[in-house]
Amino acid sequence: MRRWLGPLLALALCTAAAHVLTLYLTPGVIMNRAMDALAQRGVALHRFTTPERVTPQTQSIVRSSPDLYYALCRYDLSKLGTVLDLRMGAWPDYQSLAFFDGQTDNFATLRGTGKAVSVRLLPPGSAAQPGAIVSPTTKGVILIRRLAPDAARFAAAGEAGKADLCRLREA
Amino acid sequence: MRRLSAYLAAIVAGCALGLGSALWMAGLWPAGRSLAFGDVDVDGWRSDFAIGSKTADPYTRARVARHGLLALAKTEAVYLTRALDDAGEPLREACAYRLSGGTMPAGWWSVTLYDSASMLPANTDGALSIDASRAGAGRWEAVIAARRPERAAHWVSSRGAGTFDLTLRLYMPNAALLTDPNGTLDAPRIARLSCEGAS
Repeated sequence: MRRWLGPLLALALCTAAAHVLTLYLTPGVIMNRAMDALAQRGVALHRFTTPERVTPQTQSIVRSSPDLYYALCRYDLSKLGTVLDLRMGAWPDYQSLAFFDGQTDNFATLRGTGKAVSVRLLPPGSAAQPGAIVSPTTKGVILIRRLAPDAARFAAAGEAGKADLCRLREA
Repeated sequence: MRRLSAYLAAIVAGCALGLGSALWMAGLWPAGRSLAFGDVDVDGWRSDFAIGSKTADPYTRARVARHGLLALAKTEAVYLTRALDDAGEPLREACAYRLSGGTMPAGWWSVTLYDSASMLPANTDGALSIDASRAGAGRWEAVIAARRPERAAHWVSSRGAGTFDLTLRLYMPNAALLTDPNGTLDAPRIARLSCEGAS
């Protein structure tokens, strides 16, 4: 019996380690794959997309809502001394500017119903500044949502989106 | 040699067990498992209010990364999902249902149908959801069916969905909903009307 003790211990340790490692790595792996998929679908770095209305034929993210206008911007703050300038144009109904890091966490959301919103995104480790948000990871996604449950309002949201900005610059 | 083989087998089996158990407990494997998870259950509508935040447990984080990527934190939006009708049977394309509800404790709401892969069903019916702007104030009803019903104010198409679930989005939720969801939310009901092939 004692000769099985070592292998059994190795089995238990490997099971626990693989379990924890899988859970730890899964969000980052899924986010990386999603970022790659978004890039392949034309979501550029440091520029908001001009979105199509979400339909079964155009959907690219799981559980997207067909009632919302989604504009995406991928960011990469790994180059030293760079910051991201962001602006969400005015929209008379619900809209929000949401920030997701490389681990899928929604680390900030700014609501802008009826008004425009401007903010800067700083790289990880930056000191807090007024009018700025510090990203927990160098890469991530920024998402504007606008309530637009029909074709006419979606078209109007697209017009409002012309005032959106996602631009990398030297600090 | 036998001892070495035993250790190697233990390591390989342990890695497989750890990987499989993590994916299973997070609801990621096998594909198509129910989204029944979370710390909130209002009449079968389930959610985890830690979605989108660092406080979510690792199982929720992994599951949401797969099934609810880019979901907002609860102060901005709450997402509840239900995969069973009022009788406890899985929602499926072969059946028709009456979805009904009332005023929601949020600035805006919608109910959207998703297939087992968490995607909108592959149809061109243009009837994927019902939301506050279409439902109007007060009580509302919609029929969920694979074909447009003859008499119904609102229709949500399940054509091409197979076994499906519904996601209730509550944007700009009332503070009371976050602290007491069961006492605050009058959750929509899902009554099965008929099923194809049923006598």
